[in-house]
Amino acid sequence: MSTSTNILDIKNIEVTYDNVILALHDVSLKVPKGKVVALLGANGAGKSTTLKAVSTMLASERGKVTKGTIEYDGTSIEKQNPSQMVGLGMVQVLEGRRCFGHLTVEENIIAGAYSRKLSKGDINQELEKIYTYFIRLKERRKSQAAFTSGGEQQMIAVARAMMAKPKMLLLDEPTMGLAPQLVAEIFNIVKELNQKEGVSILLAEQNTNVALKNSDYGYIIETGRVMLDGTAQSLLSNDQVKELYLGISKKGRKNFRDVLKEESLTKKKIN
Amino acid sequence: MVDELLFFMEVLVGGLLAGTMYSLVALGFVLIFKASATFNFSQGAMVFFSVLAFVGFMQDFNIPFVLAFILAALLMVVVGLCTERFVLRPLMNASEDTVLMATIGLGYVLEGLAQAAWGVEVRRLDLGIGDFPVPWIADNLKLFISALDITAGLVAAIMIIGLFLLFKYTKIGLGLRAVADDAGAASSIGIPLKHIMLLVWSAAGVVALVAGCMWGARAGVQFALVDLALKALPVLIIGGFSSIPGAIIGGLIIGAVEKVLEVYIGPFFGGAIEGWAPYVLAIFFLLYRPEGLFGEKIIRRV
Repeated sequence: MSTSTNILDIKNIEVTYDNVILALHDVSLKVPKGKVVALLGANGAGKSTTLKAVSTMLASERGKVTKGTIEYDGTSIEKQNPSQMVGLGMVQVLEGRRCFGHLTVEENIIAGAYSRKLSKGDINQELEKIYTYFIRLKERRKSQAAFTSGGEQQMIAVARAMMAKPKMLLLDEPTMGLAPQLVAEIFNIVKELNQKEGVSILLAEQNTNVALKNSDYGYIIETGRVMLDGTAQSLLSNDQVKELYLGISKKGRKNFRDVLKEESLTKKKIN
Repeated sequence: MVDELLFFMEVLVGGLLAGTMYSLVALGFVLIFKASATFNFSQGAMVFFSVLAFVGFMQDFNIPFVLAFILAALLMVVVGLCTERFVLRPLMNASEDTVLMATIGLGYVLEGLAQAAWGVEVRRLDLGIGDFPVPWIADNLKLFISALDITAGLVAAIMIIGLFLLFKYTKIGLGLRAVADDAGAASSIGIPLKHIMLLVWSAAGVVALVAGCMWGARAGVQFALVDLALKALPVLIIGGFSSIPGAIIGGLIIGAVEKVLEVYIGPFFGGAIEGWAPYVLAIFFLLYRPEGLFGEKIIRRV
C-alpha cells in the first residue's frame, strides 16, 4: 500500500499518561481510504488510547504520544488540537456516547455542525440528509437526549459526528451495552455511511465477531501492542482468534468453565 | 386592616425589587458556572473592578456617561480575554478545584488592580435615578417604591431576556450549552472551548458592570461591593447554579424573604436578621433540594 491510499497511517507509536504510565508500547496501523478497519482487544488493551492519540484528545487526559508518528491525510497531526482535527475532517465518537443530555436530540445533532459555517437553510438540509440514515432519531427529534434509550443515544452520537462532514470517523465501542438487535442496527448504519458517504472508519470494539463481519481489515491489540492483523476474513477464520476472542475452538464451543476443568484435570495428572 | 395590607405589599414589592439586584449579581456567577462548572469567587471583585473603572473614567477623565460605560464594558471584555489566556488556558486540563482556587486568586488581583488604579476612597455614582419613592406610584397605589429599585428590576428583566435569546437561538449559545453539558464531547465535535470561555467571561464581566452600577448607586462605589456579591451564594443555592431563570427567581425570593422576615420576625431577634436569614433558607434548600429550584437535575436514566 502506498501512503496516498491510506487516510491514516500510524507508525510505531508509544503513549504515556502523566509521563509515567505506559499505555501503548508499539502500535502501527493503517486505514485505507474508504475502508472500515476494526481495532480489537480486551478492556485496557489500548484501543481507546489509540483512537484518542489520533484525534489528539489525549492531551485533555494528560496523555502524550512519546514515540512514533501519526499521519492523517498525508500530514502529521502532531501540532493539531481536537477542533483543528474536526476541521480537517476527522471526528471521534467517544466511548459511552456522551450526548448533551439537556439538549434535545435535534440540538445535539445540530451542535455537530458547529465547526462548519452553515446557514440555517444549509443546516436543515444537512439535518434531513442525516435523518435518512437515522430514521428513529427523526421521530424523537424534540426529546431531551438524556431520556432517550442507549441505542438512540449512540445514534445521536454518530449523527452528531456526521454533521461535521467527516472524511474519517473514529468510533469507540459503539455497541457497548446494547442489545444484539441494536448492535446490528448500529453496524448497518455505520456500513451505510461508509458506502454512501465514503467515510473511512476506524472502530474500536470488544464485540469481535460483529466488528470483523462489518470490517475490511482488523488489528488485534493486547497490552498496548498489535498482536495480530489481517483482513477481516482471515481473522475470522484464524484459529487463535476463534479460540481467544470468539470463544470457538476446533472441538466446538469452549467457555471459561471448560478451561478451568481442563486445568484442574491436568493438575491432577501431574500430581 | 387595609393599611396593614398596604404595608405588607410595600415590604414585599420593595423586597422583590431589591432582590433583582441580587439576581443581577447571581447572573454573572451562573454564566461562568455553566461553562466551566466552577464557582467564580472573583465575581465580586469583577463587580467592584468594573464599576470603579466606570466611575473612575467619568470622574477622573471627565468622560461622558455613555462613553465611560462603553469603555468600562470593553475593559471587562479585555479582563475576560486575559483571564482566558493567562488563567484558564494553562489550567485547561486541571481539576475543577484548581480552577476554583485560581478564581480566588484572580479576585485578589482584580481588587488590587482596581484600588491601585483608582484609589481606595468611597466614590459616589449618580445614575440620575433617585433612590426615593416614585411620586406617581405613591399617589396612586399608596405604595412607596424606590425609583432605583424599579430601574434595577427593568434592567434585570432586559438582561435576562437578552441572555435567554442568546443561549437559545444563537450558534454560540448552543455551543455554550453543549460545553455546559459535556465539555469533552463538545471538543470532540470541534466546538472550540476557548471561544466559549472568552464569551462567558466577557458576558459575566458586563453583567458585573451592570450589577455594580445598580449597587454602586445605592451604597456608593466601595470595597464592600466585593462582599455584597457573596449574597449571590444563597441566591444560587435556591435558584440552582446552572440556571439563568433560577438566578432571577432565587434573587427575588431572597430579596422578598429577607425584607418580610426583617420587618415581621426581626424584632423578636433584635433586628438585623437580613444579614443571615438568606443563609438559613439556603441551608434548608441544601438539605431538601440540593439542585435548587431550577438547577439542571442530574438526569439518570433507569
